[in-house]
Amino acid sequence: MNYDVVIIGSGIVGASIARELSRYKLKIAVIDKASELPAGASRANSSMIHGGFDDKPGSVKAKFCVPGNKLWHKLKDELDVHLDECGSYVCAFSDDEVRHLETLLAQGKANGAPGVAIISGDELRSKEPNVSPEIVAALWSPEAGIINNFEAVNAMIESARINGAELFLETRALGLMLDDKGDVRGVSTDKGEFSAPVVINAGGVHSGEIASWAGDNSFRIIPTKGEYFLLDRATKGFIHSFLFSCPSKAGKGITVLQTAEGNLMSGPTATEQDDPEDRSTTPEGLAEVLKGARRLVPNFPVNMNITTFAGVRANTESGDFEISVLAKPRGFVNVAGIKSPGFTSAPAIAEYISGLVREEFADRLTFTPNEKFIPERTNIPRFLYMDMDARKALAEKDPAYAQIVCRCETVTEGQVLEAIRRGARTVSAVKMMTRAGTGRCQGGFCCPRVAEILSRELGLSLDEVTRHGGKSKLLVGKTKEFLLKKEGVRHE
Amino acid sequence: MSERIDVLIIGAGPAGVAAGIGARREGAERVVVLERDWDLGGILQQCIHPGFGLRTFKEELTGPEYMHRFIEQAHSEGVEFRTNTMVFQIDRETNTVWTMNKQRGIEALNPGAIVLTMGCRERPLGAIRIPGTRPSGIYTAGTAQRFVNMEGYMPGKRAVILGSGDIGLIMARRMIWEGAEVEGVYEVMSWPGGLRRNIAQCLDDYGIPFHLRTTVTRIHGQDRLEGVTVAEVDDHMTPIKGTERFVECDTLLLAIGLIPENELSRMAGIDIHPVTGGPVVNDLLQTTNPAIFAAGNVVIVYDLVDNVSDEGLIAGASAAKFASGRIPKTARRIPVKGGENVRLYSPQYVTGETDATIFMRVTHPIEQACRVFAEPGLYSQRLRYARPGEMNEVKIKAEQVRNLPELEEIVIDIQPV
Repeated sequence: MNYDVVIIGSGIVGASIARELSRYKLKIAVIDKASELPAGASRANSSMIHGGFDDKPGSVKAKFCVPGNKLWHKLKDELDVHLDECGSYVCAFSDDEVRHLETLLAQGKANGAPGVAIISGDELRSKEPNVSPEIVAALWSPEAGIINNFEAVNAMIESARINGAELFLETRALGLMLDDKGDVRGVSTDKGEFSAPVVINAGGVHSGEIASWAGDNSFRIIPTKGEYFLLDRATKGFIHSFLFSCPSKAGKGITVLQTAEGNLMSGPTATEQDDPEDRSTTPEGLAEVLKGARRLVPNFPVNMNITTFAGVRANTESGDFEISVLAKPRGFVNVAGIKSPGFTSAPAIAEYISGLVREEFADRLTFTPNEKFIPERTNIPRFLYMDMDARKALAEKDPAYAQIVCRCETVTEGQVLEAIRRGARTVSAVKMMTRAGTGRCQGGFCCPRVAEILSRELGLSLDEVTRHGGKSKLLVGKTKEFLLKKEGVRHE
Repeated sequence: MSERIDVLIIGAGPAGVAAGIGARREGAERVVVLERDWDLGGILQQCIHPGFGLRTFKEELTGPEYMHRFIEQAHSEGVEFRTNTMVFQIDRETNTVWTMNKQRGIEALNPGAIVLTMGCRERPLGAIRIPGTRPSGIYTAGTAQRFVNMEGYMPGKRAVILGSGDIGLIMARRMIWEGAEVEGVYEVMSWPGGLRRNIAQCLDDYGIPFHLRTTVTRIHGQDRLEGVTVAEVDDHMTPIKGTERFVECDTLLLAIGLIPENELSRMAGIDIHPVTGGPVVNDLLQTTNPAIFAAGNVVIVYDLVDNVSDEGLIAGASAAKFASGRIPKTARRIPVKGGENVRLYSPQYVTGETDATIFMRVTHPIEQACRVFAEPGLYSQRLRYARPGEMNEVKIKAEQVRNLPELEEIVIDIQPV
């Protein structure tokens, strides 16, 4: 298959770059080994759109964070995704930490982060009554927000696809293909060869390994696990924004936030590990999160926990993003080591990469603007948030919107069908696109129903439906068949 | 203007169907039961094992058979049913009930009285925060039961069961019957969560090991479950170091408790009891909103469906009375208090308008002769034992309450004798 650009990785970075490049008449392939989106660090993170005060002025992170933040405030409407423009607080418990806030304030100003200011502990408590009485001051960042990261990644890639980019899931990159001059010719995958003169490495936690295929060993990815608690949406309003602790060497520290959908959440830890795919939670990690959560919010209602999860982020030794165009092989771009504030920065990084590719690879590609570029995309209807008249109209137009599939999040069959129409193939893809199964029963009610709809719509038998692709089948066979097989009885 | 309904019942499980019968018998003209599933019967549809109705029908029925008898009765009493109809909102100011159905679209109903009979749901894995991965193959016992008994598919070949609630015990046996292996049942407490008879009939009869004071401490496997770590726990339910053991399995079934399903009750603004997790009710099964009644597992999780049906009949009858203005606004409200070893009970108030049965559970088992009683001198009954997995009852006659006009509270308790 011949393309102009192959992007390895369909996290928020790969998806944003695909969308940005689809403003040109380019044949773009985005490949990802996952069965559903988002899969890697874009799936399991704090869903924060950072205010931009935390990054050292002059760093690559600082260059992209504030512009990325600004872009998200615009993209939320263009892409129709939930962004709670709630602001964030960094909480200080001591004079030492107040001095740290002052450093952050100065950094924020240097980075051009608008509106950052230090407020008193009491002022914080007037906005967030459940925070610790021991907090003496806080750094307020009004432009910070919390995004529905499941929606955002799907929206971004969908927008790229509307504009011509192609997405290949369950496609694992195996190596780089070079031509006789030793320059980029494409990517070999377990699904065949993807030829292209330009390859972009947006491989997240695997981006170091992918860079090494191009002979670039200038940086190393340190997989760093972050564990989280996610609480019942009935906790909505317990806090209204994003609370940071003062950062330490290990990371930004444990945070407490209210997700864009109203769940209380806390995390992450920052544990370095060798395995980039180990997303298991641990007793030590969860204990650390709980301790940190209770420090910020003493009566953190952990009894309303509905799930725990972990993500693995692509830390680098430099602590900064690794963005580069290689001199040799020609045609290879690293967008690597994108960790916090990676989600925030992604749209700005994408704009930068688009410019970089145009500048660097004019010899390899022709850049004709795509006049038919459509920036807007609309989300799957969110029944839960609609007013009654809109619900009635929708149900009248399509009766599938008058059938509830997920009772906790009030997700209708119509939404599930629409998610499948837009490419969902697994139970958790449906979950990330519609929120079916994200509620307090965690799919106890809707999982069999979603599986049944998937099997019906995709023409699969129920025991072929998977939770998240690969070998994650929900069921192992039909009841009687299973019994007969076990007893060695042959079916006639 | 919405259609006229005297008593509207939400949920056509055992409580809701009985409430329909109760309401019609008490004279309500138009009684409608809403059911979100495509068929009536609630969770009993998938409970195809025998053991239901010993008290009501004096014989052992399967879940569907038990429900069939009630549904037939309800039809002959003139109860109307609407299946595939979900209530997704109740407005607290107006008691408007919003429903949806593929044929009828979205509708608003304003009945004379409402009965909440939504039942309960199972506690999910997240509620107990077991560390590890998140592979497929982990189900609540009820979800697995639905797959096996309703859809005809097997969730796995080798199962571990965490928790000893009744559905877990029933599913252990079902997995064996269907040709799977069950490695064992693990219960963190020192006593079983389910009925003794289910331990005997579902585990002992099939040689399934039952481990008390043991729990799952870790989940293993990326795509599909590959095993769990189990460990013994101390008196504080903390895993004991050195007792960990890896158990290979492709399925983990959870029977770690049931929670009354009260999203709609919360929307309706009625008081929810912090311990039962269900609406605060009086002996008429009237909630803190006088037009809303509740019965069955939505109020308090029962052991036996017979109790659920009995309570449904009462709630339906009370709702019919309310809809026709026959519940005095001046009814008394005598609080019930529980003694030291009483974990939960319902109802929480007695009116003296009706004979009352108060259902209760002890916190700790009493493995000796004991007495369940209600003070001041209202009830006393000797028991051979009292166990958290088996409910006890206190019965108080309306007449007893009427004879005590100064009665300010009733205290129920169970103590060894």
